[in-house]
Amino acid sequence: MSMPGWIFRTPVLTGTAVAAPWLAAIVVSIYRRQARVVGCIAALLSAIASTTLVWKAPQGASLYETLMLLFSGLTFGTMVLLPRRDAEAGTIPGILFLLGSTLLAYSTGNLLVLLGAWVLSIIPFLSASWFRSRKWRPLVALLSSSLAIALAIGFMVAGTGVSSISHLKGQSPGGGAAFALLIVAAIFRKGVIPAQTWVADAVDSGPLMPTTLLLNGHFGALLVVKLIVPLFPETDHLFPVLSYFAIATAIYVAIRALRENSPRRLLAFLALSQSACILSGLESRTAEGITGALVHWVVVTVSTVGLFGILRLLEVRFGENLSASKHLGLAEHAPRLAVSFAILGLALVGLPGTLGFCSEDLLIHGTLTTHPLTGLLLPIATAMNAVSFFRLFSRLFLGRRRTGFTVMADALPRERWILASIVLFVVLGGLFPNPTVIEHSSEVEVVDEAIRAFDNLNRGTGHSDNNSSMNARHPHLSTTIRDAAEVEQRPTGVDR
Amino acid sequence: MNAFQDILVFVVVAPGVIFGLFALLWLLDWVPSERLMSSITGGTFSASTAGVAALIWKIGSTSNVSVSLGSWFAVGNYHFPLVLMADRLSIPFLALAALLSGLIGQFSATYLHRESGFLRFFLLLHLFAFGSLLAFAAGSFDLLAAGWEIVGITSVLLIGFFHQRRAPVENALYVFGIYRACDIGLLVGIFAMHHWAGTASLAGGFPTLTGARPVILCLLLLLAASGKAAQVPFSGWLPRAMEGPTPSSAIFYGAISIHAGAYLLLRAQPLLAESRLASALVILIGASTAIHGTIVGRASADAKTSLAYATLTQVGIIFIEIGLGWRWLAVAHILGNATLRTMQYLRAPSMLHDYHQMHSAVGGELSPTGTQIEEILPAGVQLWLYRWALDRGYLDTILERWVIGPLLQVSAYLSRVERTRTPSTTVRPRRTVPVSVAGPAQRGD
Repeated sequence: MSMPGWIFRTPVLTGTAVAAPWLAAIVVSIYRRQARVVGCIAALLSAIASTTLVWKAPQGASLYETLMLLFSGLTFGTMVLLPRRDAEAGTIPGILFLLGSTLLAYSTGNLLVLLGAWVLSIIPFLSASWFRSRKWRPLVALLSSSLAIALAIGFMVAGTGVSSISHLKGQSPGGGAAFALLIVAAIFRKGVIPAQTWVADAVDSGPLMPTTLLLNGHFGALLVVKLIVPLFPETDHLFPVLSYFAIATAIYVAIRALRENSPRRLLAFLALSQSACILSGLESRTAEGITGALVHWVVVTVSTVGLFGILRLLEVRFGENLSASKHLGLAEHAPRLAVSFAILGLALVGLPGTLGFCSEDLLIHGTLTTHPLTGLLLPIATAMNAVSFFRLFSRLFLGRRRTGFTVMADALPRERWILASIVLFVVLGGLFPNPTVIEHSSEVEVVDEAIRAFDNLNRGTGHSDNNSSMNARHPHLSTTIRDAAEVEQRPTGVDR
Repeated sequence: MNAFQDILVFVVVAPGVIFGLFALLWLLDWVPSERLMSSITGGTFSASTAGVAALIWKIGSTSNVSVSLGSWFAVGNYHFPLVLMADRLSIPFLALAALLSGLIGQFSATYLHRESGFLRFFLLLHLFAFGSLLAFAAGSFDLLAAGWEIVGITSVLLIGFFHQRRAPVENALYVFGIYRACDIGLLVGIFAMHHWAGTASLAGGFPTLTGARPVILCLLLLLAASGKAAQVPFSGWLPRAMEGPTPSSAIFYGAISIHAGAYLLLRAQPLLAESRLASALVILIGASTAIHGTIVGRASADAKTSLAYATLTQVGIIFIEIGLGWRWLAVAHILGNATLRTMQYLRAPSMLHDYHQMHSAVGGELSPTGTQIEEILPAGVQLWLYRWALDRGYLDTILERWVIGPLLQVSAYLSRVERTRTPSTTVRPRRTVPVSVAGPAQRGD
């Protein structure tokens, strides 16, 4: 019996991906049993719907669908990986709620829906019954970013009367005030200087895996890709400022990590430093830089979920007072967790043979072309991060075998499968990167076409020189941008 | 692809495949026996050595064997070329890497028998061989950098091989830091090549660069080469690297890894020829290292460190030869130094045993033979030099005081600033977990 055709329609699939986790969250909150099973089923449903969306999307226009697949897949992995004490009816609904909100933000093409998704995604982290942080900085940062984006979208909608993103491309809706507010929202949400400290505080004082998923939604970068670049192309002379803030964050946090002894904070610094590079790449306005940024987005997300997952497993097994101030020798007890941790960490900092190497290569190459100083500082930040990571690895896993306990488990079968999948993804992705890179290289259009939209709309202005030089450097890119411009303007996500 | 191109691909890829296969099997809970592991290692490197011999025979009649495997990844006009190349410069290094890896494998099968990290050592040996063969057979600087970094991380993991002791682990971290810092030179240098010359390929020679560009490129590559070859001022990591097992010390710091820096400079020699300043700097660094190595080595108390400094002295001289443009003399020097040092490292443990037996047989210490050249110096200078040598030229002290220390101080300052701005009050206490939910620890939850 064949499946009815309406199931494969984009709005149905998008609605399924978004609604399944929300419904499951309600079910778990009421039923309060089998939380992990219900959570896994909901995340899997979202992942299947996202996979179908990726499959249906035209070549070179599947960025958001890919991000949906990535996030729902990782949420599924997190559900399986969660230690038993975390997989309870208080945590799972929060994660599912976050999943639904994040997928809604990725898929929508409407400003008001995006604002709703943005606010909904932080609700679990404001509620005392879910994941509210014990420290004030995460609360302030999340609320500030929400307030900033609410004001920005308010200006944009009030000024134009239109809420569809595709209709506002290149029009600078809301003017400079909206642009500045969007930058503020991105800075707060992404943890860019001067709002960088909340990330470590959130990871340190909140539940680890939900916070990891919150950070890996990369809403700050999403804002750049989805709104700032496409809607405000004539302010492109201001974009480098964001790049400078991002690289300053990468360097600052990398230095800060050098002396940090709390494994949670240290990993948070590494994740923040590496993810700040994404903004630099997006802003580089070269095919290599933007592709590198998008691939790096994937690498950072996958690696940090794996790293934080392993850290949480260690905390549960060996106690929450883990410290990088002394050698704990845990590799003797958990060699597979140690190896997985090493591979994922080295992938995060660009070890050859992993996908991280490809993304770093493209990122540095792209940024060095447009901003030599940024391109020079990126490898320095990465080198410091690599040293900090190796210090953390050696302190946690190497050293004299601990004898204070009798039997300690290495990765359990369910954990092993998830960790092996993540490790295989970064390694096979690194050995055979072309599918990932080419996919994202075609998606460069989504960002770069937006950067160039102003020029396309206003032929004859001074910006066309810029475009010509870009096209001369990247004929492939310019061709695809022109092709994309013809088939572009299709509405995305729930608007379809 | 013709047969020789297939052979070249096999020589480079085979150790990597063995590493990947056995690492995956280990992750799936299967541990091969020592006999199987050493047999496979022997077979792989014997085949690789035979393959390199065939390539040598082929290169006798043609200038090089090159094979393009397409692009590793490509974006727009930029692509990462997967080109392997065996030419007259790379073939001695390929032969050295394949042959010595096999010899070290055979030696280690006995030396590390029943050692708890037996499998780990062999996996890392294969990974190292793959990295070094990739670096030497790379047809572009991009691919060379990939192999270079694999050699670096393998080196670090083998320094920390005896990870139950604190010193090897801490020293591995130190070496890793130096490697990463110096590798910035290689990475930025390669990107600068792409940016300025439009290529980082080794096949067609370097396009002519003007102005300060060749100097900047040379200096960046020199930074990377100096770090890998433990040249002054980065020599401090070499004695720390002796914490690893003797076979790994032999192949890394006696033969392959320590000479990789010289190989990089040999590859970049067309650029060096364009820049007198860079050439002079190479000579200066080489001379400083040679003098540093010979002085410090004389005050070293253990056999492996003495050998390390003896190697370092020779590598310093090799740098001088490269700086002077004596390319083939440098290659011959590298081959001689690498093989001799490998033999000396492998012989060191049994040599000490032999000495002890001889001392027992003669009923005391053997009389020293020969004269020491430092005896021609005044006594005051000798004493000063001895103090200087004991502290290994104060290089570690300088690095820690002027680079690492300030960086850590800045980090500590930033941490203090963040903490002083954090109110001590909390929003709510961390949730406590009921014992019944937590479950027994040995279940993993």
